[in-house]
Amino acid sequence: MRLSRRAKTLVAVAAAVAVIAPVAWFWQASLVPDAYSVADMGRHDHGGHAPGGDASTVPVDELTAPDDREADVRLTLTAAQERVTLASGRDFDGYTLNGSSPGPEIRAVQGQLVEVVLENASVPDGVTLHWHGVDVPGAMDGAAGVTQDAVGVGESFTYRFVADQAGTFWYHSHQVSHEQVLGGLLGPLVITPAAGTGADVDALALAHLYGGRRTVNGRDGEDRVAAEAGDTVRVRVVNTDFGVMPVWVDGAPFRLAAVDGTDLHGPPEIEGKGVEVAAGGRGDLVFVMPESGAVRVNLSASAALLVGEGSVEASAPPDDVLDLLHYGSPAPLGFDPASADREFAFGIGRRPGFLDGKPGFWWTVNGAMAPEVPMFTVAYGDVVRMRITNDSGEAHPMHLHGHHAVVLARDGVAATGSPWWVDSLEVRDGETFEIAFVADNPGIWMDHCHNLPHAAEGLVAHLNYEGVGTPFLIGGPHGNHPE
Amino acid sequence: MRVVYRILAYVIAAEVALQAAFMAYAIAGLYIWVQDGGVLDSAVMESEDIPFDESVGFMLHGINGMMVVPFLALVLLIISFFAKIKGGIRFAVILLLWVALQIFLGLFGHEAAIFGLLHGLVAFAVYGTAFMAGFRAKKPATEPAVGNAPQ
Ligand SMILES: [Cu+2]
Repeated sequence: MRLSRRAKTLVAVAAAVAVIAPVAWFWQASLVPDAYSVADMGRHDHGGHAPGGDASTVPVDELTAPDDREADVRLTLTAAQERVTLASGRDFDGYTLNGSSPGPEIRAVQGQLVEVVLENASVPDGVTLHWHGVDVPGAMDGAAGVTQDAVGVGESFTYRFVADQAGTFWYHSHQVSHEQVLGGLLGPLVITPAAGTGADVDALALAHLYGGRRTVNGRDGEDRVAAEAGDTVRVRVVNTDFGVMPVWVDGAPFRLAAVDGTDLHGPPEIEGKGVEVAAGGRGDLVFVMPESGAVRVNLSASAALLVGEGSVEASAPPDDVLDLLHYGSPAPLGFDPASADREFAFGIGRRPGFLDGKPGFWWTVNGAMAPEVPMFTVAYGDVVRMRITNDSGEAHPMHLHGHHAVVLARDGVAATGSPWWVDSLEVRDGETFEIAFVADNPGIWMDHCHNLPHAAEGLVAHLNYEGVGTPFLIGGPHGNHPE
Repeated sequence: MRVVYRILAYVIAAEVALQAAFMAYAIAGLYIWVQDGGVLDSAVMESEDIPFDESVGFMLHGINGMMVVPFLALVLLIISFFAKIKGGIRFAVILLLWVALQIFLGLFGHEAAIFGLLHGLVAFAVYGTAFMAGFRAKKPATEPAVGNAPQ
């Protein structure tokens, strides 16, 4: 049987439609509106509970630090988009706070009230400040479109929080953060215990790649801090980049005293091993200055903090990496993860599709692509367990805002060392982590990958407290884009 | 339509060569950068900043391979429905499947290097299929024109 020319054309058209129609349907279904609320976004997951009755809803911006308390530490940070020149003379297009990148080091004593006024002098996209690792009140989290609007040029926003946790933290913009953090809109924040840390020298080693080259405290390659033989030195390593950073010490054995702003319990001395600091994470190294008077803290193979005088030759990165699952000695957690009120799965994958109309291979959370990502819902006081699995082909440094979670197990192997509290957890491809935390900080919190381009590619979920809402919008007139 | 089909098939074949060239260019640049003291680690790889100019080759390879080539292969398939080339649809379908496989192999190469090896080999399958599709489209289909057929 022969088909007529017309029939053949019809068959061809039908075949073309059969190919194009599903593609077009998936494309249009992926488009997100110009403005939407994260509260309406994605799939609500109640972790095994029935949805709670929303008797009253508190807007997240009312969850603030006490108004009537005087600030103990007060400063203004002015953000600008400009050509930045490093001490070495190298320059690049980036961002500054008070004229420099990284921004000024903020220091506070535990219990003090910190007040920072953020002004935007010239960043067209708007800016915010997120206090990475500090479990600030809900309104102060700095997530554009979630807890506040991006601060436009000529505008300002005042952050107030009580510095309850002693440790090493950092602050950075959470508006178009994959660009603004990369470009240097960040700085260090150190909170010390009232009784001091016991260290003679307390030094910062904030690593950041500018133009693909690593800097320490804004200096190309190396920075130096003075110390005498016999001094106890605490080096606060901050990884502000998007990939995990190996850290090792030449010239002295060391202890890993703290991770992500939380002291480890009974950390023994380490020699010939490196530690890994996740993207966004921190690690505090403590050592005693040797008679030689020189120690080198290597931040990957491309940068170092030199302590003391003279120099120590850099060794190759050690093959042996400290496993925090079994480091230090156990201590009470302060809650019982075995009697969890809510259990959540955070499964990371990857598949082809459209993200807001853009074709590509995009990250998925529990099988769904953004904006169909989970909204993990909890009630105040809940003990929450979360199982993070990664089958996406790449590593992801997962960052939960507003909380510290304790690592219970990795790939089924239980943690036996010091309680390992994290806010930025490196989850490698093929790994499964069991973590737990107490829902003790009401708000709406981002829970995302701190390889920030990944977050912009959809690797974002939210943790929402029952009875808390947000008046802010993603997109909208302020152009809020937290990722 | 036949001409469009031919040109498009050859363009896809040329794209494969371009993909190889982008990678070779980027790797040469990486080699020089490391020789000059550059250090490649996880953070540098994940950074969207460009540590050396030639790293644009990695970016172009990704965009070209994951967006442009599959788009062209899809267009070729649609055109094949109208082009009346003997075996034209079959070749377009096979090409699209090779391209899909190639993308997966490229991504799985991040997990196990053996997939990278296969990615290099499958490139020749993509090239060969695209080239053959174009080459075969030279001759008109042997069936008589519809107008002459008995109604
Ligand atoms: Cu990621």
